[in-house]
Amino acid sequence: MNRARALDVVGTLARVGLAAVWLVSGALKAVDPDQTFVAVRAYDVLPETGVELVAAVLPFLELALGLLLLVGVGTRIVAVLSAVLLMVFVAGVSQAWARGLSIDCGCFGGGGAVDPGNTAYVQEILRDTGFLVLAAWVIVRPRTLLSFDSHHSGRT
Amino acid sequence: MGGASRNDKKRRQEAANQRLAAAGIQVPAKAANRTPLIVVGVVLLVAIVIGGAVLYFRTTANGTAAAPTYTATVSGAVVTAGTGKVVVDTYEDFLCPICNQFEKRYSAQTVDALNSGKISVRYHTIAILDPSSTPAGYSTRAANAAICSVSAGVYPAYREKLFAEQPAEGSAGLSNEQLVAFGTALGAKGDFAGCVNGGTGTKAVAAETKKAIADPALQTNGNFGTPTLAIKGTKVDLNDSNWLKNAIAAG
Repeated sequence: MNRARALDVVGTLARVGLAAVWLVSGALKAVDPDQTFVAVRAYDVLPETGVELVAAVLPFLELALGLLLLVGVGTRIVAVLSAVLLMVFVAGVSQAWARGLSIDCGCFGGGGAVDPGNTAYVQEILRDTGFLVLAAWVIVRPRTLLSFDSHHSGRT
Repeated sequence: MGGASRNDKKRRQEAANQRLAAAGIQVPAKAANRTPLIVVGVVLLVAIVIGGAVLYFRTTANGTAAAPTYTATVSGAVVTAGTGKVVVDTYEDFLCPICNQFEKRYSAQTVDALNSGKISVRYHTIAILDPSSTPAGYSTRAANAAICSVSAGVYPAYREKLFAEQPAEGSAGLSNEQLVAFGTALGAKGDFAGCVNGGTGTKAVAAETKKAIADPALQTNGNFGTPTLAIKGTKVDLNDSNWLKNAIAAG
């Protein structure tokens, strides 16, 4: 296996890995809309209507990003959007931490207020940073195997 | 492929094109492939529309709430509302955000069914979130106030008020003065303030809470949480938006 091929494999793993993250987190949020509402509200950033909207749309947005990455269509732009969304999440968790709120991020379902001793801000931010690394790889080198893009760009 | 070799290729390509142009041959410009971009846009748009539709149907399903006209009696910390033959056991904590969501979603249907005598609801007024206010104990104070509101004759409206004014978890919660003021504004009779401040129903709330937590029929994966509803001792699936209609139809 030559070097370019090896990098393609790494990129494919990053792309599919990020797809799995979005599909799982989106599905967990979509099946429990009330819990998602509570999780979004706990960040204490948006007014009530904004919370309603974000809680309703976010799960399906995550599922859509997951689906697009899985199929590998518009890989680079979807990776950019993923990175933007992940940075919004990191900002949300950071502001909650900085303001001394005690919440669970609700990243993979759950969420809402927790006991002050049960916050996990460091782990949550590190986890999101890990996902950002996956997104960054795909942005820098969007060429991957087994994707719509690779089959339709004329260079497989 | 390194940057240097890529530039090299590009230069050779340009040189080739120039030779073709010099020979009078037009090379059609390769159209940029926009398909992926369009697919991404459409899929994201569909996702947003689905989210919006879900939100729309969830918020309009409830309908407009009628004013509650049903009766309420209390025994311990269990408030029996209405007189209908289908009996719904509802376990709720006034600090529980999902209880409030649930209330927003189903209050109109529930109040209608109570008003028209189709159902009765046994509201188990419990306090599992006492540690979630600072200082602790708002759940118990609110539960006690709700029990006080029964003998004061204002429970149906007072219960709605407690959810409408629900404080955030982690906050101090509503003060006893506020809890009393809500009742007074609704026309509470008797010594409502004395009942709220004296914690008349506190022991009953603690006992009912303990009983609810220990009941295996009310648990999900071994845990008890609020809101929990049960009909004839069987837990109601709260993800089924037709739970109330089905329960009424089943009698």
